[in-house]
Amino acid sequence: MSERRTRLLVGVLAALFIAPLMVLLVQAFADSWRAPGVLPDQLGWRGFEVAFGSARAGDALVNSLLVAFAATAISLVLGWPAARVLGMRRLPRNGFVFLLIGLPLLMPPYLAGFGLTEWFIRLGIDDSLAGIVLAHVTFALPYAILILLSGFNREVEALEEMAATTGAGPARRLAWVTLPALRPTLIAAALLSFLVSWSQYGTSLAVGAGRPTLPIVMLPFIQTDPEVAAALALVFLAPCIVALAFVARLQRTPL
Amino acid sequence: MDTRDPALNLRSSASRSWRREDVLALAPAAVLLAALFLGALAGAVKVSLVPLGGGIGDASLASWRQLFADPSFRDGLVLTLEVTIASTAIAAALGVALALALRRSAGAVRAVAAAPVPVPHLLVAVIAVVWLGPGGLADRILGSLPFDLIGNRNGAGIVAVYVYKEAPFIALLVLAAMGRSLEQREEAAAVFGAGGLKRAAWVLWPTIRGPVVVGSIIVAAFAIGALEVPLAVGPNYPPTLAVYAFQTTQGDLISGEGRAAAALLLAGFLAIVLASVGVRHARSADNE
Repeated sequence: MSERRTRLLVGVLAALFIAPLMVLLVQAFADSWRAPGVLPDQLGWRGFEVAFGSARAGDALVNSLLVAFAATAISLVLGWPAARVLGMRRLPRNGFVFLLIGLPLLMPPYLAGFGLTEWFIRLGIDDSLAGIVLAHVTFALPYAILILLSGFNREVEALEEMAATTGAGPARRLAWVTLPALRPTLIAAALLSFLVSWSQYGTSLAVGAGRPTLPIVMLPFIQTDPEVAAALALVFLAPCIVALAFVARLQRTPL
Repeated sequence: MDTRDPALNLRSSASRSWRREDVLALAPAAVLLAALFLGALAGAVKVSLVPLGGGIGDASLASWRQLFADPSFRDGLVLTLEVTIASTAIAAALGVALALALRRSAGAVRAVAAAPVPVPHLLVAVIAVVWLGPGGLADRILGSLPFDLIGNRNGAGIVAVYVYKEAPFIALLVLAAMGRSLEQREEAAAVFGAGGLKRAAWVLWPTIRGPVVVGSIIVAAFAIGALEVPLAVGPNYPPTLAVYAFQTTQGDLISGEGRAAAALLLAGFLAIVLASVGVRHARSADNE
């Protein structure tokens, strides 16, 4: 592809996909933006002041971070051995396991939260961060397994066997061979699990019973006060930027 | 090789059967997923059958009858199906077109195209309102938009958000499937005299059919059951199934929960049926 065409394509795609995100930045600081002006009349911090003041975005941010980190950790710890067996062993009649992994992804998140609340009330974990974490794992764990699965391939198998023939025990093989070989896959699985939990709305709404997370705090402002919604959206966007940077880095350094 | 180490005894053909170690490695994830998935379904079924405060002996189909008799549910079901079909079809078509445009592009170009993939749906809804809502940037730049996307009665705003988010997602899946070998196979087909259309039907489509079907199933399942996007940019009436369920729990504390559970179960059932049809179609096409 010629360099000129590449530049043109990047320009068009950037205009389509990145420019809309940039407008959030302007909207988040637009204290006054009267129609039909194309630029704001007055810039300021009102959006963030309202968001982190009366809207309790601080509490929501902490809750969202705690829940997303916990759901990610659980998904990786449980997903790693499952993906290893499914990826490397290629076991017969394992279709039901893949069905079990795939089915939760077809379930509406609000249905998951709604149904789980019935049991969480009995267990005393409704309206708690632990309950929200468990509900999010319903969706984060299948994604973690599916991504990790792609890393446990024949090349990793061969590397592990080579390490074993040189006398490396299980712990050394894990530290010196498996983890370095699966590093990009592991990071991708962690990022996706985190983002799946981070962006959950329906499950958190049903299980959390009003406990604030970022999406729950943000939604009411979308129609009523776009400046506050845009300010919250910028906070909400931060982990996605990390994910995008990771994707861009992967594109530069082929696995 | 240390054959006594079960973690390494992976490639021997004799070991291609379920061992205790395999079951133990899979069990924590499988048991937890089964408990959460089946628990969620069982909980919703129970709420849809047993009235609030009642016992299992009070179970009845009253909530289901009320649901099917409710005209706003029927309108909501139609809107949900319309939005799902439109979003999935447009996202799949644009995703394939984007993948074809990017197939010989550098990694940086693909990274730019992948930008919306990790962005949460709700954030895209904010962007849609800021750009396309009444008094939004598009209104200011163009004077006025020919029609309102945000709050559109036919769910055009919801479709726009899903297409913006999901077309690049499907494009990424298709690009991953294309790989480098596709070009060689297309060249080989051209050597044997296959024209553009025949190459597309015999070489390109069989290569990308799998990811297109899988991607479409994921998009459709999400569109059927998502709550946040229709709440943010959808119409006040009719509601999608998830919004109907949410509004029902807010408006009627006594019988609302049962109807909401029934509506959500129906949405889940629709998603699973659509996925089964998609997978069956892909398999039968593979066997042809």
